[in-house]
Amino acid sequence: MSVPPAVIEACGLTKDYGRGRGVFDVTFAVARGEAVGFLGANGAGKTVTMRALMGFIRPGAGSVSIEGRRCFSDRARIQETLGYLPGELSLPEDMTAKRYLAFVARMRGADEAQRRRMRALADFFELDVRTRIGRMSKGTKQKVGIVAAFAHAPRVLLLDEPTSGLDLLMQQRFVELVRAEKRRGATILLSSHLLGEVERTCDRALFVRGGRLVSEAPAASLTLEETLAHLYGAGNVGRSWDARVVCASEGVPGDASARVSEDASAPEPDRAARSSSGEGRAS
Amino acid sequence: MSATLIGRLLRANAPAVGAFFVVIAFYAVMVVYLFDPSLAESLDAMMAAMPELFAAFGMATAATTLTEFLLNYLQGLILTLLPLVLVIMMVSRTVVRPAERGSLACLLALPTSRVRLAASFAAAIVLLLAALLALSTVAEVACSEALFPGELDVAGLVRANAGLFGLWLFMAGVVFASACAFAPSGAALGVGGGACLAFYLMQMAAGVGEGLDLLGDVTPFALYDAYGLVAGEAAAVAGALALAAAGAALFAAGVAAFARRDLSV
Repeated sequence: MSVPPAVIEACGLTKDYGRGRGVFDVTFAVARGEAVGFLGANGAGKTVTMRALMGFIRPGAGSVSIEGRRCFSDRARIQETLGYLPGELSLPEDMTAKRYLAFVARMRGADEAQRRRMRALADFFELDVRTRIGRMSKGTKQKVGIVAAFAHAPRVLLLDEPTSGLDLLMQQRFVELVRAEKRRGATILLSSHLLGEVERTCDRALFVRGGRLVSEAPAASLTLEETLAHLYGAGNVGRSWDARVVCASEGVPGDASARVSEDASAPEPDRAARSSSGEGRAS
Repeated sequence: MSATLIGRLLRANAPAVGAFFVVIAFYAVMVVYLFDPSLAESLDAMMAAMPELFAAFGMATAATTLTEFLLNYLQGLILTLLPLVLVIMMVSRTVVRPAERGSLACLLALPTSRVRLAASFAAAIVLLLAALLALSTVAEVACSEALFPGELDVAGLVRANAGLFGLWLFMAGVVFASACAFAPSGAALGVGGGACLAFYLMQMAAGVGEGLDLLGDVTPFALYDAYGLVAGEAAAVAGALALAAAGAALFAAGVAAFARRDLSV
């Protein structure tokens, strides 16, 4: 059986910002119609990867392409059929949502069908477009970003923490929207540090840690423990908040003597005994 | 260039330009009101008492006509420094702050090339400066004709202000190129704004004389010769055109830098 051509492709993507920050030798592909989650802790390299795919930054080494086009040099062409939702959404505060969405529609040369879809999306997310963006809550601004990203029925979607700030109902509506887009044949890369976001919308998940792709797994079968192990490494989970330990600790981060069992009623920790038995490891 | 984006930028920056026009118009009215041919002797006496100070602010020439009076007391300070402040504000709002705050990502997510985006930023800034200059010229002429009909060499003043636009283009080009080339906001505005301020201070120092006149050969601001433009001197026209051409080249360099650099938005 032939491998379907990749729509989103990163090949040895490297962008080194020094002191271990950036992404290093990241390689992955997303086939047409697939929804892939990109999971990682804060600072793991998700946003750097998104910026490279959006053509905001030039790879230091390797390449990124969308529909066969180089992301940096062909950015404008790629954006014709791509929808993007940034992780840190910043919109012009002096405009109302209606004026901003009209501006986006004019810049995209939107036809009447796209404008109708934009209005329908605004209704679906119960967005009052008459409100000035500067007076909106974070969640309401996120809705504006979602409408702007999906309005032109893009073939490719890059979504960075898309449900950030949304209430539970709107999160569910967003999941419905993504599933509908998948049925329409859109290709989706969804970057997140939330397991639930990826679980409900994606086919598989890629895990990034320290700027490197460390593993991959089907999204539907992920458990919290498995995800934590992928994200942080098996030896770094199971720390519990124990005020007595915090007060009594030597104050050195990562000190093995500060890792205790999950039993909060345990007596004063016997540091020597715990270190030698390896207690406090991931369950 | 994108007409939609230029329109958006014009609307967003028009209030600031309007505020600067009000201040310039106020100064123009005050300066014209203060013109009194019979005061020429008194002003000459003040100039003789403090020649360095007057020369530093470009007021070295004894002003015997209304046109010279306006050039002396407006061009050297108000119509140079205030537009520089406005240019820094507009470049900050158009290029630097959107990059800092991340709202630039919304523009970069549109199917518009970086060259087109940056050219639109530049066009909006130039159009706003042109509007300010036109309104300021109208204010100067209207005040002059209202208070001293027929005294003003209108054609000469228009030539001087047209040359002044070359200086404004140069300053805007320096600040724009710096903002497009440098990532941190401090350097983005500090390098360009600081350079323009340094050029202005060199011009002031050169006017004082006493061995500092060499600085006049170094600062590009010396290419703007308001009196020469009023008199229609070819050298003054060439200087103004050189400033305008340098400004256009700097805008082009800024667009090229914007198109190539990493934007971590």
